[in-house]
Amino acid sequence: MNCKELVYLLGDYLDGSMEEQLRRDLDDHLVMCESCTKFVQTYDKTKLICRQIRLTEIPEEFRERLNSFVIQKAREHHKGLEKYQKMAAEEQKRQVENLLQAFQEQRLAPSLSLLFDTHRDRCETCGGFLRYLNGGGEPKSCPEEIEEHFAEFLDAIPPGEEPYLS
Amino acid sequence: MPAERLLDDNVLLEELRNGSSEAVEALFERFHGKIYGLAMSILKNESDAEEASQDVFLTVFQKAHTFKGNSALYSWIYRICVNACLMRLRGKRRQETVSIEEFMPVFTEDGMHTSPVEDWSKEVERKMLDKELGHVIKKFTDDLSEKYRVVFVLSDVEGLSNEETAQILGLTVPAVKSRLHRARLYLREQLTRYLREGKTE
Repeated sequence: MNCKELVYLLGDYLDGSMEEQLRRDLDDHLVMCESCTKFVQTYDKTKLICRQIRLTEIPEEFRERLNSFVIQKAREHHKGLEKYQKMAAEEQKRQVENLLQAFQEQRLAPSLSLLFDTHRDRCETCGGFLRYLNGGGEPKSCPEEIEEHFAEFLDAIPPGEEPYLS
Repeated sequence: MPAERLLDDNVLLEELRNGSSEAVEALFERFHGKIYGLAMSILKNESDAEEASQDVFLTVFQKAHTFKGNSALYSWIYRICVNACLMRLRGKRRQETVSIEEFMPVFTEDGMHTSPVEDWSKEVERKMLDKELGHVIKKFTDDLSEKYRVVFVLSDVEGLSNEETAQILGLTVPAVKSRLHRARLYLREQLTRYLREGKTE
């Protein structure tokens, strides 16, 4: 190994990721080369001194301004989210009501009809509610825990396909 | 002081998603200094760093639901911060930086040092607490192009592992190691010249 190679490999040597044979070669070179010994020492020292650099501290004035910004934006963001979630929940409720209404009036497209039939046999809660609808029950009284199931039916329809018979 | 449970990354994020103001405060306390400092070291301008810090918090709020906990929260946030800063740099004229090549060690054809190497490692120990030395090193790093500076700041100043730095910057580990090595060679040479001449060039 010569000095150039040693300098090139120094990073691996000092972080311990160098393979054993190379390390021995490098150590051999160091024993007989004063320049490289000094180079390694100053390189290592450079790392050490740089550890002392601190990131620039935030001025108090900035800190306060950033803090109020963050608090305000967090609040706005959350309000926006809540509003959106509420809208999404209302929209889903409305869609499921339409769906159940169509089920009751037997206006479901064939693919949806099939989904209803398969699901009815598998899911006891939904099955019960569908029988209730068949007996003239009110679609608006759909319990929240099964609203999700029906909402998934709507997502399952291929894009472009009409859910209801016209 | 924020509640202890908020020191857990996943709890903090969960409560943040639920809009807890205590979580917002804890997030701010834990990260604002690092975010600003990192932004400052990349952008080197106070008002840019302040705006970039704002961007970082906004992104964290917007993307809080996408944090999966595969990496540590700080490295996720550092990544957001580095990206926010690089976006800001993109629109600007690059500041003048030194050419790192001029500071790389020179060798003879058969790979020997061309000039004798000085050992200033003992001498510098006496200056370790010297304020001026701190300023000088900071100036040297500021002169580096951001390609090297960011790697150097994350790894050698912030003490992150090469793997973490690579993940944050979207680089391979060998690329991080190579940039870091060159940044250190540059700084070593700058320090050598500074100590020899007792002044910055």
